[in-house]
Amino acid sequence: MSAAPICCYLNKVAEVREGETPDAAEGEHVSTDVLIAEDEPAILDSLEFILRRAGLTVASVTDGAAALAEIRRLNPKVVVLDVMLPRQSGFEVLKQIRADQAFAQLQVLMLTAKGQTQDKRIAEELGADAFVTKPYANADVVQSVKALMARLGPA
Amino acid sequence: MRAPIGLRIRSQRKSLGLSQAELARRSKISASYLNLIEANKRDVGGALLHRIADALDLDISNLTGESEHRLIHSLEEALNEPVFVGTGLHPADARVLVAQHPQAAEALAQLHRAYLEANNSLDTYQQRLRADPLFSQLLHQVLNHVSAVRSSSEIIMDTEDLTEAERNRFVDSIGREARDVSDVAETLVAHFEQSSAQRRIATPQQELNDFFVAEDNHFPALEQVASELRTEVESHGIFGEVALSDLIERRFGIRTQRGGEPPAGETSFSPQYRFNADERQMWFQGSATAATRQFQLSRLFAELAATDAMLEELGNARLTSAAARRLTFRALASYVAGAVVMPYDRVLDAAEDSQYDIDHLGQNFTASFEQVAHRLVTLKRKGAEGIPFAFLRSDPAGRLTKHFPLPGLLLPSTGHACPLWALYAAFRQTGQVVRQVARFADGSRYLFIAKSVSRRPATFREQPFFTSVMLAADILHADRTVYGQGLDLAGTANEVPVGPACKLCVRRGCAHRQEEALDLQGAETELRTPLVPRRFDAGATRRNTQERTAD
Repeated sequence: MSAAPICCYLNKVAEVREGETPDAAEGEHVSTDVLIAEDEPAILDSLEFILRRAGLTVASVTDGAAALAEIRRLNPKVVVLDVMLPRQSGFEVLKQIRADQAFAQLQVLMLTAKGQTQDKRIAEELGADAFVTKPYANADVVQSVKALMARLGPA
Repeated sequence: MRAPIGLRIRSQRKSLGLSQAELARRSKISASYLNLIEANKRDVGGALLHRIADALDLDISNLTGESEHRLIHSLEEALNEPVFVGTGLHPADARVLVAQHPQAAEALAQLHRAYLEANNSLDTYQQRLRADPLFSQLLHQVLNHVSAVRSSSEIIMDTEDLTEAERNRFVDSIGREARDVSDVAETLVAHFEQSSAQRRIATPQQELNDFFVAEDNHFPALEQVASELRTEVESHGIFGEVALSDLIERRFGIRTQRGGEPPAGETSFSPQYRFNADERQMWFQGSATAATRQFQLSRLFAELAATDAMLEELGNARLTSAAARRLTFRALASYVAGAVVMPYDRVLDAAEDSQYDIDHLGQNFTASFEQVAHRLVTLKRKGAEGIPFAFLRSDPAGRLTKHFPLPGLLLPSTGHACPLWALYAAFRQTGQVVRQVARFADGSRYLFIAKSVSRRPATFREQPFFTSVMLAADILHADRTVYGQGLDLAGTANEVPVGPACKLCVRRGCAHRQEEALDLQGAETELRTPLVPRRFDAGATRRNTQERTAD
């Protein structure tokens, strides 16, 4: 791989990190790597931090109903989706994602809770691509997200 | 292993803004020797350590680490937890963590204690926990707090170029989450003690419920037996009341009678049928429905022909009284009867074909709304599951008389449920199915399907007696049912905000609240106050009056 694409990629990351949330409505279309749907502020804060550190562009929502709207608006590559979300559960969001052909490429990483094996089974049936169980190791989240992005091939 | 005293000396010196030379001068040693000490390459103790401690304005125990030994030990224990495996944090890191991030270390140790406490309670009562709405809510909170702490502490440990502001932000977050998880653990323990005290005197009905919940309301062995019984009945003719009563008379010498005066002897739970063992007679009220007759004959057949299989299941149950065993045996017989009337594969296919139209299934199988609803809850065979439903039945006083839970759905196990549930609305429109999209405070949404039916009165003088039966399914499955049709399932227009029951409900401002909530933080809740604000703690009542008169 030549050096040029890496350089551009880094520039893009830096540009978005400053603005925190990429906004597609303003000017040119900025693609978002990851959309996080998580309602616990402390968890959301750390997830955003580690994923940005990993060089990814990150946006977030704190409820299920907003998740779909943001997916449509930002067209992210990966969604990190918590099961227990206000307004619409992560399962409901996942079901709607899988029902929509427009999101066929979208990779979904579910955040399930330890001990809730039922949740994992439901998420599997609904078509989640990967799972991370709370309490998780940061490295697992980063690794899973990167693995999901790698499935999509180079941007 | 030597405690990194040097590290602590260096960090305290830096926080005081002293140069190495200045501290060396005050401690009466050379700067290069201090450098070795700070780099942990020289042991330090005795008078010299005292001089350094004085120069740093510190108690010597802070430097020798005596006050931290316990903390280090606690942290080592914490970092040994399987939950930290793969994080890159090891027990050996405890010392470094304590030296470099004492607040975070204290918070982690505190969290670990709370986590252990919570885990102990959880392990012992895992079974209870699954069925208890408050427990599962608390467990969810514990996991979230623990996740946040773990993630934040990993960021602090693993990120080399963390800015001061970022570090503070994550340390604060750990502290906050640790305090919160302690509160949750306390509530958990308090609730656990309270509920275990209550539960030591579990009623026979609760023992029965516990048993069915533990078996997930599905009994493969009984399904097999029921299938054999069904085949036997069908070998006598088309399945139904006639073939059943023929077979029972032939095999067991028991006659069936419809109408006329009830036979002498004790009355049964329902006035619609009665079995007299001495007379070898099964009697039905003239107005008993075909569904009742078919179901009760199937139950009688099960009790007579499948005794062994049911006794074996009974042996698996933890039942402490004769009453509990009697109720459970009866419930198992009803289970077999349901499976005889509605064979597994046939009812599952018919349910999927009719989109779980309960009344339609009732027509198809000659079964009542309650019998069908009950059967749908048992469709849990691995690889051939129906929609997962919870089941509830209420008497007209609102009391829950039967319930099968659903993971995640907050169902009160006793007493009454939230007055807003369709279960109760069904009493206002008897005989009609009432549907509802119920939203809980945690955001979860369920489709409720309820209907209330009357047990037929035998005479003019008797009052009709209504019961309401409800099925609940996660909103995810609503579109597989006929009851989800026409509802805007993605939107919020049809939703009714509900809770499990007032006592367990966190919707403080709910206009329909009838009972004060069990407050998780132990604060006073204020429902039903006088119009004029007034204090009512001890001694305040009189003072209030005087103050107001003086005004």
